[in-house]
Amino acid sequence: MEKIRANLLMCAGTGCVASGTPKVKAALQEELQKRGLADEIKIVLTGCNGFCAEGPVMLVYPEGIFYQKLTVDEVPKLVEEHFLKGRPYEKLLYKEPEKKLSIPTMNDIPFFKHQVLRVLRNKGLIDPESLDEYIARDGYMAAAMALTQMTSADIIKCIKDSGIRGRGGAGFPTGLKWEFASKSQADQKYMLCNGDEGDPGAFMDRSVMEADPHSVIEGMIIGAKAIGASKGVIYVRAEYPLAVKRLQKAIDDCRERGLLGQNILGSDFSFDLEIYLGAGAFVCGEETALMRSIEGKRGMPRPRPPFPAHKGLWDKPSVLNNVETLAQIAPIILHGADWYKTLGTEKSTGTKVFALTGDIKNVGLVEVPMGIPLRTIIYDIGGGMKNKKKKFKAVQMGGPSGGCIPESLIDIPVTYEDVVKTGAIMGSGGMVVMDEDTCMVSTAKFFLEFTADESCGKCTPCRVGTRVMLDMLTDITEGLGKDGDIERLQDLSRDIIATSLCGLGQTAPNPILSTIRYFQDEYESHINEHWCKAGICRKLSSFSITEDLCKACGACLRACPQKAIVGEKKVPHRIIQELCIQCRTCYDSCKFGAIKIGPALRKDKKEPAGKV
Amino acid sequence: MADDLKILVVDDEPIIIRSCETVLKSEGYNVEGTLSAKDAILKMEQRPYDLVFTDLKMPEVDGITLIRWIKQKRPDTGIVIITGYPSQDTIKDALELGIIDYVPKPFTPSVLLDVTQRAVTWVKGKTPVVHKEKEELPPAMIQEMDRVINQYKNKPGSSIPVLQRCQEIVGYLPPEVQKRIAKGLNMTPAEIHSIVSFYSYFTMKPRGDHNIRICLGTACYVKRVEEVLNKIKEGLKIDVGEVTEDKKFSLETVRCLGACGLAPVMVIDEETYGAMNPKKVPEILKEYA
Repeated sequence: MEKIRANLLMCAGTGCVASGTPKVKAALQEELQKRGLADEIKIVLTGCNGFCAEGPVMLVYPEGIFYQKLTVDEVPKLVEEHFLKGRPYEKLLYKEPEKKLSIPTMNDIPFFKHQVLRVLRNKGLIDPESLDEYIARDGYMAAAMALTQMTSADIIKCIKDSGIRGRGGAGFPTGLKWEFASKSQADQKYMLCNGDEGDPGAFMDRSVMEADPHSVIEGMIIGAKAIGASKGVIYVRAEYPLAVKRLQKAIDDCRERGLLGQNILGSDFSFDLEIYLGAGAFVCGEETALMRSIEGKRGMPRPRPPFPAHKGLWDKPSVLNNVETLAQIAPIILHGADWYKTLGTEKSTGTKVFALTGDIKNVGLVEVPMGIPLRTIIYDIGGGMKNKKKKFKAVQMGGPSGGCIPESLIDIPVTYEDVVKTGAIMGSGGMVVMDEDTCMVSTAKFFLEFTADESCGKCTPCRVGTRVMLDMLTDITEGLGKDGDIERLQDLSRDIIATSLCGLGQTAPNPILSTIRYFQDEYESHINEHWCKAGICRKLSSFSITEDLCKACGACLRACPQKAIVGEKKVPHRIIQELCIQCRTCYDSCKFGAIKIGPALRKDKKEPAGKV
Repeated sequence: MADDLKILVVDDEPIIIRSCETVLKSEGYNVEGTLSAKDAILKMEQRPYDLVFTDLKMPEVDGITLIRWIKQKRPDTGIVIITGYPSQDTIKDALELGIIDYVPKPFTPSVLLDVTQRAVTWVKGKTPVVHKEKEELPPAMIQEMDRVINQYKNKPGSSIPVLQRCQEIVGYLPPEVQKRIAKGLNMTPAEIHSIVSFYSYFTMKPRGDHNIRICLGTACYVKRVEEVLNKIKEGLKIDVGEVTEDKKFSLETVRCLGACGLAPVMVIDEETYGAMNPKKVPEILKEYA
């Protein structure tokens, strides 16, 4: 066998690939060849490492040195320093922002330090397309145990005891779901996986399917045994071509090695799987809608009961689990329910993966124990605001079904119960961080645009209600808000929640309710003063330069597309209101905070337009 | 009938050229052969041909590169591929570039004549005017669609996969394509249309040569993707869902591409561009112009 001196684990997740992994890999390969090192140093392309902000990233084993922001130009230096001279190449190491100190090893970097990896246990460590590498990390051990030593009841008991709840959004206990389906009598049952990740702002399912497809398949085999299903379907978004390719390879490999098909591992249990490509409809996150979609119809939900555990796909008992839930099943079976409960809180056990994005420094995927304070996620792992001068305003959780958690609640523990209390929901785990430059009315409008567009149209409260609310929000952001609009929005929200058929309508008003709850003053200033204090709503803002703060540097003057700013060196600049189109470019270009956002001006552009 | 048409056969195997010449000349076609794509380009720079038959795998310059060249420099030439590897991927690539049909290797004289006849009819029927109300689909596309339909025909719930594959082949789902699928799957055109109109993945409008997709996910929204979108609209003078006049670009918005770490994100064809800002737009578009 050839002797490998070092393994270079290069991230080939979507983020890093877009940032340049393929080019860097080619350059690395060439350089290693040139220096005669190609036989002893192996490059492995792995799934998403999670630290997307610093991509392309690479981990060098055995030392565990973490390199970031790789470029083709730096490759020769890197190879020379690290592999010939044997010392980490300083320039590409991660640096602590304030201290300028570089941290060579991955596990010492704050972004990774607070994480506990269960779902993402294999991320960045194995080649996602290799069944052997998955097996080498205890893969399919749990499936073997479940198929040869455990009964269906044993499996369900173990999953129930672990307390794991569905990671797709609503947090329904997985063990219970399985129990209902296992008790249904039928000649055919289905085990389904929802990989249709619809929440904008969440990408953990994509990452799991791309980085560790076998973990999902193993979870499905165990679930199928538990409920007595012989067929399974993974429903994946067609927009995730890499995930589809890797899942298909994993399924083919499993079939070849007898892990899927007739009499798996010599047991009397048979199960096979196929992939079904979703065609892009948010409502297909709802289980009955998803099943209709697999049947080749419009993905519209239907009233429950009957629940899918009794009548699901093709009217047969079916269980639908989320990708992240399924990826955790194998370790629970392998290590036991008590091991799983060592992390998390009483009602929210285990770990949860979050997609950290928005105005935050360390964008990426993180897995943390349930119950960890929100502050730790945002400040320790996330590294705080991207623009240090800006203040944290809110974090949006749960996508279009969720809400915004304001700064005052940033110390809450992240559990299903505590998040719901704030008016947001755990959802699939998207965390979009917003700084003070965000307009909350516009944010609510953004989500309503989404739900109004994605509403399937079957029930009236959702189809018409979301549209009416969207129109009201649009009016408010354009200066046409009226007295009582806030109350009307709240009333309408309550009605829509109470009367909608499925989860989409029942949660659609959440973004409005939660922004009114914490940022009512912003709604009021939009309606009464015609003033969007973040300067996002063009019709509700005006810009002016504070003379004392202006250093007359000319940055805004050059940036203005309207040439509406006048000034010379050493003379404070001035904005000509008649020419200004409120595009906000000057505000973003000023380094000294000299540009002030005021309320909209009257048509004659002299006086504020709001009520006097 | 055929003497006014000039055909060029490009293949690195002399035997293929010889057999094409023998078969086609006997039917009165005007045929020339060449052993490399490079030589073919030289020939085409001298004079136009009506039809080019080309191999895909050739040393130095391969068939796909040649097709690209023809599409750019001699867009009126009809292209037929001769391939020993009729895998779905290569045919898909070639279809995307706009070939009329393909001849699988090895072929019999009757297959070659059939394909040639179809190609000739298609080339002749195609008026040089670019704007035609109802553009006819090349035979290879129809064949490929029928193959997909037959493959799924007896599988329950297969309408969505069939529509997906057919959209990949044709590029969009015009009414005639929907009707063909409905007939093949034994469904009504209304049922098929109800599915096409429900899912955002399906489009009934043709896309440009390069399809631009802008992510409107939350992360991209927070990072003000709208400014990028506006810049593109301005630059290409089209709105979302439209195609530029020269059919080079089409513009779409999508809900979330799941690449939030790179927000704001734009995808052109299969290439992802992260951390976008309006300033980057003109430069990137220039790469595709």
